[in-house]
Amino acid sequence: MEFSNSCSSFSSSSLDSTKPSPSESSVNLSLSLTFPSTSPQREARQDWPPIKSRLRDTLKGRRLLRRRDDTSLFVKVYMEGVPIGRKLDLCAFSGYESLLENLSHMFDTPIICGKRDRKHHVLTYEDKDGDWMMVGDIPWDMFLETVRRLKITRPERY
Amino acid sequence: MALRLPSKVLKHILSFIDSNEDRNSVSLVCKSWFETERKTRKRVFVGNCYAVTPAAVARRFPAMRSLTLKGKPHFADYNLVPDGWGGYACPWIESMAAKSPYLEEIRLKRMVVTDDCLERIAASFKNFKVLVLTSCEGFSTDGIAAIASTCRNLRVLELRECIVEDLGGDWLSYFPETSTSLVSLDFSCLDSEVKISDLERLVSRSPNLKSLKLNPAVTLDGLVSILRRAPQLTELGTGSFAAELKPEAFTKLSKAFSNCKQLQSLSGLWDVLPEYLPALYSVCPGLTSLNLSYATVRMPDLVELLRRCSKLQKLWVMDLIEDKGLEAVASYCKELRELRVFPSEPDLDATNIPVTEQGLVYVSKGCRKLESVLYFCVQFTNAALITIARKRPNLKCFRLCVIEPFAPDYKTNEPLDKGFKAIAEGCKDLRRLSVSGLLSDKAFKYIGKHAKKVRMLSIAFAGDSDLMLHHLLSGCESLKKLEIRDCPFGDTALLENAAKLETMRSLWMSSCFVSFGACKLLSQKMPRLNVEVIDEHPPKTRPESSPVERIYIYRTVAGPRMDTPEFVWTLHKNPEIGVSKLAIK
Repeated sequence: MEFSNSCSSFSSSSLDSTKPSPSESSVNLSLSLTFPSTSPQREARQDWPPIKSRLRDTLKGRRLLRRRDDTSLFVKVYMEGVPIGRKLDLCAFSGYESLLENLSHMFDTPIICGKRDRKHHVLTYEDKDGDWMMVGDIPWDMFLETVRRLKITRPERY
Repeated sequence: MALRLPSKVLKHILSFIDSNEDRNSVSLVCKSWFETERKTRKRVFVGNCYAVTPAAVARRFPAMRSLTLKGKPHFADYNLVPDGWGGYACPWIESMAAKSPYLEEIRLKRMVVTDDCLERIAASFKNFKVLVLTSCEGFSTDGIAAIASTCRNLRVLELRECIVEDLGGDWLSYFPETSTSLVSLDFSCLDSEVKISDLERLVSRSPNLKSLKLNPAVTLDGLVSILRRAPQLTELGTGSFAAELKPEAFTKLSKAFSNCKQLQSLSGLWDVLPEYLPALYSVCPGLTSLNLSYATVRMPDLVELLRRCSKLQKLWVMDLIEDKGLEAVASYCKELRELRVFPSEPDLDATNIPVTEQGLVYVSKGCRKLESVLYFCVQFTNAALITIARKRPNLKCFRLCVIEPFAPDYKTNEPLDKGFKAIAEGCKDLRRLSVSGLLSDKAFKYIGKHAKKVRMLSIAFAGDSDLMLHHLLSGCESLKKLEIRDCPFGDTALLENAAKLETMRSLWMSSCFVSFGACKLLSQKMPRLNVEVIDEHPPKTRPESSPVERIYIYRTVAGPRMDTPEFVWTLHKNPEIGVSKLAIK
C-alpha cells in the first residue's frame, strides 16, 4: 500500500524482529532514528524541519533564484592522480565554456566535457545526491545549484 | 440549602460568558446549570471531530449558531499523516443540516471537505454568514462558487492554506451583484487568476469589507486598483509583489497605500523586491501585524521597514533577517508580542547560518511583551535559553526548532537539558512548548516537574528511554495534546500512564518504539480511548513486539470510528487478532 507522502526513509520500514528490543538500547537509535549527518544523501525531506507544505514548496522553487544572487560558490577540484586539489569559485564563471577554459589553464592541460575517452581529460562533478555525473548536461544555473565538487579524470584510466 | 437561581436569571448571567472553558465548568455544577448552559451555548468548539458524534452535539446545543471543528492531528501539517486517514466534514454537515438549520458559522481545521459538502452548506443554512477553512483539502473552486452564489448573507469566506483543486478564477464571478455583506475574503491559497474587474466590482459594492487577502496571481496594478476601492481595509494580503514596476506605477502604489489609513495587518508580499518596500512605509506606523514569511528580503531592507513599525505586535519573518535584524526589532518594536522566524533554507546540509541563538536573545531582552515564539535555527545553547527564560518569564508559547536533530549546546557540547529546565521553571504561564536539540531524560523530568500549565507539547528526536515519556505523562498536569516523533519511547511508559490519556485530547507518536502488542493491550484496557495504529504494513503480518510506525490515541465518547482506511488498524476493526500476550507490568 503506497502512501502518497514519503515518510519511509526515516520510519521503521524494515521491521526486523531480530533487532535489539527497544528497552535494551539506550542511546542506540538503530531502528530508524539515525540521522546520518555525513551521508551524501541528505536530500530535502518532506517532514523535517516542521514547516508547512506551502512554505516548503515556495522555498524549493526559490532556491534556484537565490543562488544567482550569491556572490560566491567555492568547490574543490581534483585531478585524478594528483593528491593536492584546488578550490574554485564557480560564480566567477558565466558558463561551462569559461569554466573549462579556466580549468584547462589551471591544470595546464586541455579539459573537456563529455564522454571519457583515451585521449582527453574529462570533467566530472559530484552532485548533491552524492552521484558522479558528466559535466554539461544540465543548464548552468541548475548545475550551480547541485554541484558539490569537481574531478578531472585521466585519459588512460578507461 | 442553597437557593436555586431561577433559570431566567441564570440565563442572563450566562449570556455574559463566552469562553467555552468557562461554560464547560458551568455545565459541571449541577443538572439545572448543565441544562441552562447547553440551551444557551451559541458557539460550539469540538477539538477532535472523532471525540463525539455530530448528532450528540446537535442534540446538546440546540441554540448553536457557530461550529468549530478540528480533524487531523497537528503533525499532518508536516506530512506525517498519510492521505486518506480521515477527518471528513460531511457527516457533520449532514447532521447539522438536519438538526441545526440556523447555523451561521462553520470553521474547520485540517478536515477533508468536498464540493458536495460545500454545496450542502450553501443549500441548508439560510442565514449562513461565516466559512473559514484552515488547512483543509478535498474541494475545488466549484464548491467555493456554490457558497459565493447561494449564501446571501455571507460575511466571511476565508481559505487559509487549503489545498484546493483550482479549476480557474470564475468562482469570484459567482458572488451575485446584490451581495454587499462581505466583511472578509481570503483566497490567498488559490493559484488561478481571477478577473480583476469582477474583484473590483465586488470590492466596490462591499462597504463593510475589512479584510482582503489576495492570491499571488493578482498583480501590483490589480492591487492598486483594489486599494483605491477599499481604503477602509484593516487587513490586507497582497498579491505578487515581484513584477517590474514603472516609476509612475510605483508612485500610484505608494499613494494607494498611504490612503489606507486603517491598515493594521499586512501579509502576502510574495517575492517582494526590496525596491518596492518603500511603498509600504506610510502604513508601517499603524501596523500591528506583519507577515513577511514569503518575502525574500534581506536584512538591511527588512530593518529599514521594521524600524518604522513601532506598534508592531506580531512579526512573522524569514531567517534572512539575521541576528542583526532581530537586534533592530528589539529596539524598534517594543510592542512585540509574537515572533516567528522561519528557515529560508530548510535543507539540512545548508552551510549558511543566518540566525543564531543570539537573535532570539536580543528580542527576549528588548521586547518586554513578548509572549509567543516560534524560532527555527541550526543550533542553540543552554546559556541562551537560560537568559530567555530569565528575561521573559511571561512567555506563553515557546517553540524552538533546532533544525539539526540531536544538536547539543554547541559551545559546551552538553544536552540542552539545563536550558529547557530554565524555560519550564521560569515561564510559569507556559501553555505551549516545543523542544528540540539534544535532550536527555533529565530535560523531561524538569518539564514534567515544572511545566504545570503546558497544554500542548511537541517533541522530536529526543530522549534516552521510556522514562522520558513517563515523566511527561505523570508530571504535566494540564497536558492536553502530546505529539512525539522519532524518540525512543515505548510500551512501558504508555501502559503505566494509560489513565492519563483519558484526561488528554490526544497523543501522537511516530517512529518511536511502541509495539503492536502494547497498542492492543491499551485498546482493551481503555475502552474510552480510540487507539489507532497507522502503519503501511498490516500489523497482522508482524510479531507483537515489533514497533509500529505511528499511533494516534484520543479520548472519545463516540466509540470507534467507522471510516478508517486500510492502513489504520483499530481493535474494533480487527478483533480477531486477539488478546495480547504481553503482561501489564
